[in-house]
Amino acid sequence: MGKSVADRVKKVTAAVLKVDESSIRDSSRFVEDLGAASIQSIELVAAYEEEFGIEMDQDEALAVKTVGDAVRFIEKVIAEQGGR
Amino acid sequence: MKLVVYEDNRYDRLYPLTYMRPTFDLRCGQTLLREKIERAVGRGADVLFVREWLRDLCTARNPNTPVNDLAALKGDDLLIVNGRCLWLGGVEVPRNRDGCGVVGDEVAWISLRRDTAAAIGGATFEEFVETAARRVAKSDAKVKLISYPWDLVNENPAAVEDDFAKLGKRGIEGTFSSQAAIWGPKERLYVAPGAEVAPGAVVDTRHGPVIIEEGAVVNPLVRIQGPTYIGRNTLCFVAARIHEGTSIGPVCYVGGEVEEAIIHGYANKVHDGFLGHAYVCPWVNLGAGTTNSDLKNDYGDVEVYVNGQLVNSHNLKVGCFIGDHTKTSIGTMINTGTVIGVASNLLGAGSLLPKFVPSFVLFMEGKFFKVGIKQQIETAHKAMGRRNTKMLPAEEALLRFLHEMTKEDRAEVLKRSRRQVLAEKGLGQA
Repeated sequence: MGKSVADRVKKVTAAVLKVDESSIRDSSRFVEDLGAASIQSIELVAAYEEEFGIEMDQDEALAVKTVGDAVRFIEKVIAEQGGR
Repeated sequence: MKLVVYEDNRYDRLYPLTYMRPTFDLRCGQTLLREKIERAVGRGADVLFVREWLRDLCTARNPNTPVNDLAALKGDDLLIVNGRCLWLGGVEVPRNRDGCGVVGDEVAWISLRRDTAAAIGGATFEEFVETAARRVAKSDAKVKLISYPWDLVNENPAAVEDDFAKLGKRGIEGTFSSQAAIWGPKERLYVAPGAEVAPGAVVDTRHGPVIIEEGAVVNPLVRIQGPTYIGRNTLCFVAARIHEGTSIGPVCYVGGEVEEAIIHGYANKVHDGFLGHAYVCPWVNLGAGTTNSDLKNDYGDVEVYVNGQLVNSHNLKVGCFIGDHTKTSIGTMINTGTVIGVASNLLGAGSLLPKFVPSFVLFMEGKFFKVGIKQQIETAHKAMGRRNTKMLPAEEALLRFLHEMTKEDRAEVLKRSRRQVLAEKGLGQA
């Protein structure tokens, strides 16, 4: 069975923000807890899009505050667009 | 007689300059193309025709002039002028006769007597023009048609000379410091009321005229070489070097080195850095040290992207063409003949920008990223507010429209960049 969306989000988040994957919780906030600078947030959106084969609305994607919200947002986009 | 100014279907060759304005609102010299036509004819345009998606903005900017209104053509003689016409010199204005002026196989103007116009049908303005051009005798129009962005730059020195000749004003009506210098004939300088030229500034009129408009400020140690036009309320920062063939429209902040470039108006290029053989649209901000190349090291013809195809400009010197609301970071290096779209954000230090940068992208570390339209509009409101200007609802709607319209232009580079991001993080292959 493939990895869940949540696991893949955490893997990508850890790689882009250079943080330990095990330290990432659903409640982790990108900016305050994981130290995402604005440029890294933009890279993160691009990385999620590539990982899941989706196109996200940039304004909506950048408004997401926590990892858990990102998982739910990506699941919603996958449901709409397909993705992988 | 009614004067009709229109844009034909070649407006897309003039992207990115014409994304947010009709062809006839492009600057060349002191004035816009339309203003030159109106001056030659001796009246303002009575009717305007533009591509449909520019109609609302054109109407908002010209509230007293019918736009895309076929009915407004009725009842009078017509002079229909292609908005790409560069009407310089003493070219005769056709009146009270039937005729069509052409440049090669392109229509420059059509003159129709009332009865002739009434007999021409057509469900659209394009059909009307096509039919009219077939029905009446053709002759050489003796004007130039602007076909590509670099044409505006190439014609700019002659256009400034022509505008100065027709301005009919000479001398200093504003403030010109006793410690500033005019190098060359004084009668080739006009400083409008309310303009200021500070101590240590040098205005060089040896090779062409210089017009400094109302409220413009030329700070100490600025050197301006004619033919050059400095627009209303524009600030030339200390030690700016403004070389020949330059036009700077209203409310610009300009510093560093500028040569044979057109800054349309309401744009900033405050700091050091070279801008040459370029056209910069409104609300552009060029960060400190932003520099464009305008000459290839092999002295070859510069190629420029026009509608996705590289076109040989047959010019040795071509700089860059930058669409409205685009910003560059400090140290951005712009390649020879680069085309940059609308509302992009370029962090271009470290390497040359690609020769084509689509609209609505962030360029950073050699990769392209999307920018959200909401965020871009917020930034545009802020930028315009800094110059006491409010964005028209039609401008905001046009930005949203362009965001959709230009999607395909950036799809491929965004895709490639996304792959590259994952690969750089060790999660995929570039």
